[in-house]
Amino acid sequence: MKIWDNLIDDVEKLIPAGVECEIKMINSTESLTRFANSHIHQNVEEELTDIFLTFHADGKTTNLNLNITSMGSIEDIIKKALSEIGNNPKDSTWPGLTSKENSFNGYKDISPDDPDIRAQKVKEFIEEGQTYNGAGYCSSNVSNVFVWNTNGLNSSDTATSAFLDGIFRSETSAGSSHIGNQILSDIDAQKVGQEAFLITKESQNPEDIDPGVYEVILGPDAVSTILVFLSVYGFNAKSKVDGTSPIEINVEQFDEKINLEDDPHKEGALNFKIDASGAPKKKIEIITNGIPKNYFHTRRTSNELNQSNTFHEMFGWGDSFGGLGTNLYLKPGDISKEEMISNVKKGIYINEFWYCRVLDPITQVVTGLNRNGSYLIENGKVTKPVGRLRFTQSFMSSLGQGNVLGVGSDSRFADSEFGEGILNVPMLHLKEFNFTGGVSG
Amino acid sequence: MFNEINKSIDVAISLGAQYADARILISKSRDISSKDGELEDFSNSENMGLGIRALVGSSWGFYATYDLSEESLKEAGKKAYLIAKASSKVPGKDFPLADVPIVKDEYVTPHEQNPFKVSTTDQIDLIVSSTHEMKKIGSSRAFGRLNFWDTEKWFASSQGHEIYQNIIESGGGISSLSIGDGETQIRSYPQSFGEYRTGGWEVIQSFKFLDHVERISEESKRLLTSPQCPEGTRDLILEGSQLALQIHESVGHAIELDRILGWEAAYAGTSHLELSKLNEHKYGSPLMNIVADATLPGALATFKYDDEGTPAQRVDIVKEGIWTGVLTGRDSAAIAGVNPGGMVRADGYGRLPMVRMTNVGLLPGESSLDEIISSTDDGVYMETNRSWSIDDIRLNFQFGCEVGWLVKNGKITDMVKNPTYTGITPNFWGSMDMLAGEDEWVFWGTPNCGKGQPSQIGHTGHPASPARFKNVRIGVRG
Repeated sequence: MKIWDNLIDDVEKLIPAGVECEIKMINSTESLTRFANSHIHQNVEEELTDIFLTFHADGKTTNLNLNITSMGSIEDIIKKALSEIGNNPKDSTWPGLTSKENSFNGYKDISPDDPDIRAQKVKEFIEEGQTYNGAGYCSSNVSNVFVWNTNGLNSSDTATSAFLDGIFRSETSAGSSHIGNQILSDIDAQKVGQEAFLITKESQNPEDIDPGVYEVILGPDAVSTILVFLSVYGFNAKSKVDGTSPIEINVEQFDEKINLEDDPHKEGALNFKIDASGAPKKKIEIITNGIPKNYFHTRRTSNELNQSNTFHEMFGWGDSFGGLGTNLYLKPGDISKEEMISNVKKGIYINEFWYCRVLDPITQVVTGLNRNGSYLIENGKVTKPVGRLRFTQSFMSSLGQGNVLGVGSDSRFADSEFGEGILNVPMLHLKEFNFTGGVSG
Repeated sequence: MFNEINKSIDVAISLGAQYADARILISKSRDISSKDGELEDFSNSENMGLGIRALVGSSWGFYATYDLSEESLKEAGKKAYLIAKASSKVPGKDFPLADVPIVKDEYVTPHEQNPFKVSTTDQIDLIVSSTHEMKKIGSSRAFGRLNFWDTEKWFASSQGHEIYQNIIESGGGISSLSIGDGETQIRSYPQSFGEYRTGGWEVIQSFKFLDHVERISEESKRLLTSPQCPEGTRDLILEGSQLALQIHESVGHAIELDRILGWEAAYAGTSHLELSKLNEHKYGSPLMNIVADATLPGALATFKYDDEGTPAQRVDIVKEGIWTGVLTGRDSAAIAGVNPGGMVRADGYGRLPMVRMTNVGLLPGESSLDEIISSTDDGVYMETNRSWSIDDIRLNFQFGCEVGWLVKNGKITDMVKNPTYTGITPNFWGSMDMLAGEDEWVFWGTPNCGKGQPSQIGHTGHPASPARFKNVRIGVRG
C-alpha cells in the first residue's frame, strides 16, 4: 500500500542507530447501516489510517499514536519522540522487537462494499418480521494492518467481515439473531430474519418464574458471553500476571466436553493472521477436553511468565490490556437443538445474555440478565416464554466438570461484549445456572 | 477551517440533502498507567479528520475521513449524501429538525494548566510514586492511571452555524488490589476507574493521591479478612460516586429520547419510560430532583454547544419525584414535540453524533452523611462501585461496591466485603428518604459510557451527594 511504503521508506532513513522502533498502521473502511422501527435511520462509513509508533532507547520506551493527517512530518515526529523519551523511567519489561524472519505478507487491495448492498440485506431481514418492529444493523468492513520494525520485519494482512444483527419486537416480546461472514453478499439475511421472527413470535406474553438454580440451554450468543469473559479475564495472560486469573494451565478446570481453539487459518475465520507484534499467528489449543492449555500471550506477558509467546497482541489496545484470541472456535458436539430440549426435565432456554459484569475476577462470578428470547422447558418440551431474570453465577463453574450436559451440533459466529466475529460457537446444555432475581427484583 | 468544512457541506446540499453539518476535529489524548511502582504505559495520541452527516428523507448518512484535501472533502460530502440516499430502500417517515439558534461563536474550557504543556516527568512521577507507595505498604497489586484529552472542534452546518470549541478534560485514579485465597479485594480513589472532569492539570493536583494511598491499601487488605456483607433487606446508604453511577444507569440512560423512540432497541435497549407519561410518572421520592446541566463549571460533560450546534443548557429531568424531561437531539426533539436540549455528541470525528447524557445529577438535599448514619438503626453504607448491571429498559439493576460498612444504632461498626444491592428503578428511587447537602455534592464524572453502533465512548457527568434508601435487598451472591 502506497501510504505504508512511503512511510517506511522515510522512517528507514531517519531512525538513529541504537534506537529500536516499531511502527504499526491500521487502514480500514468500516461501514454500518443501522435500522430501527423497521426503517434505516443511520448509515455510516469511516475511512481511517492510524499509525502507532513505539520507540525504545537507553532502556526507555515511549508510544505515539497518530492518524496520517495529524502526523505531519515523520522527521519531526521521530525527533520529538526521541527528545521526550528521556523523561520516562526505565522500562524493565521491554520485550524487544519481533525478528525479521517472522515477516508475513497478507495484504490485499479490496474495495469497500456499496451501501446499497447493506440496505438490501436490511430490507430482506425486515420483510421476514412481517408486522413486527425490526431493529439492528448490517455492517461490512475492510481492514488492513501493517507492522514494521528496526529488526527488518515488515508484515501485513487484510481481513474482511460482514455482520447482520437484528431483533424483532412485538408488544410483549423480542427475538434476536446474528450472523457473520467474510463477504457481505454471502450473508443470508432471510435466515437471520426468520430465526429472529420465530423467537419473537414464540416469546410473546412471557410469564414470571421464581429465581433459583435451573438447568439451562444457552444459545450461541449466550455461550459467546461466557467464553469471552473467560478469555479476557482468565486466559488473557495479563490477568495471570496481575494475579486475578482463575485459569491454571494443565489443570482439569472445565468439563471434558469443552474444547476451545484459536485458529486464524480456519476457513471463514474473520480476523487477522498476524498479531500486533507483526508475527504470524498459529492455531493453538486453549482448552482441550476441559483442560486449559495456553494463555493468550503478548511479548511482555510471555517474558513475565517465562512462557512461549502465543502472539495475541491486539492492534490498538496497548500493553495494559494484554492478549486475546480473536479466532476462537468452540468444538461442536452431536446434539441438535430439538434433542437438547428433549433432554431437559425442567430448565430454561436463554437466547442471549445482557449487561454482564464481573463481581470478582478470580472467581469469575458474573451478574447479568437474559433478553431477546427465553423459554421454560418442562419434561422435554418448551412450555412457556419466561420474562426477565437476573443471574449471579460463576462462569468458571458454569463450564465446570460435570456441569456441561451437552454441546450443540451447529455452530456460528456470535456477538460478544468484546466484539463480534471473535467467537464461533454452538449451543450448550448446562446442568445448573443460578438465577438470583426476577422481574420484581 | 470553516471554509474547508463548508466545501463538504455544499456538495451534500447541492446533491439534494435537506440538511448537512460537519465537524473537523483535532483530538489529542495522553494515557499514563503505572503498576507496582513501574510505568506500564505512556502513550500520546493525536488524530485529525472530518465527519459529515447529511439528512436525506428519513435517514442520516454519515461519512468520515482523515484526508482533508479539497478533493477528499468534496468527496466526503458526496459520500454522506449517497449513503443517506441508499437508506431509501427501507424508508421511514421524513422528519424536520427542531429549530435552534444559528450562532458563530468560540469556547475554550476554563483551565489553569493545559495538561499537554505540563512536564511529563511530573505526571509520570505522580502516578508511579503513588503505586510505588501502595506496593510498599503491602498491596498485592497497585495500579494508577492518568488520562488527558484536548479536543479542538470546528462545527459548521448548512444553516450557517460556525462554532469553534476547545474542550480540555483531565482525570485519573489509583487502586490497591489485595489477593487472598481464591478471592481479590480492591479499593480505589477517588472512585473506581478514576475521577474525570473538564479542566487541566489542576484537576489531578486536587485529588492529592498520595494522601490516600495508605488508606486504600490498608482497606483492600482488611477486606480479605472481613465478613461477607449480610443478605437481606436493610437500609442502604450510598456514597456519592456509587450514587452517581446509580443515576447514570437507572436515570440517565432511561431518559435518552433516542432509546425511548426505539432507535437503540437492538443494542443499548429502550426505556421503561413512555413519553405519554411525561410530567405524570412518579420516578422517585419527593427528595428526587434531577437536572441535566451542561453548564456546570468543571463537570465532565460541560461545554458551550453540543455537536449539533445547540447551546448547552440546564433541563429539569425529575422534579420532586415526578419525571419532567428527556435528553434530546434536534431530530428526536422534533419527532417528540419537545425542545432540543443540546445533548448530542460524538466520540471523535469518525462517529455520528447521538443523544448523550450531559451532567445528569441529583440536586443536593439538606442533610449530611453524618446525620444519615446517625439516624440509621440497621443498615449498610456502601462505597465505590465494583460492578454494575441493569436490564435493557433500565428497570432491574444490581450493583456491587468495593466496601461496605455495617451501620448499627446510628454508628458505623464493621467492615464487610462483597457488598451488593439490587432493585427496581422507581421502587428504589421512591425509597430515598435522606439526602446529603451541597457541602458533600461532588461533580462525579464517567469517562467510559458505551452506546451506539459502531460503538462510541461518551464522557458524562453525575453530580451527587450521599443518600439513604429504605428497605433495599442487599448481599446477593452467586
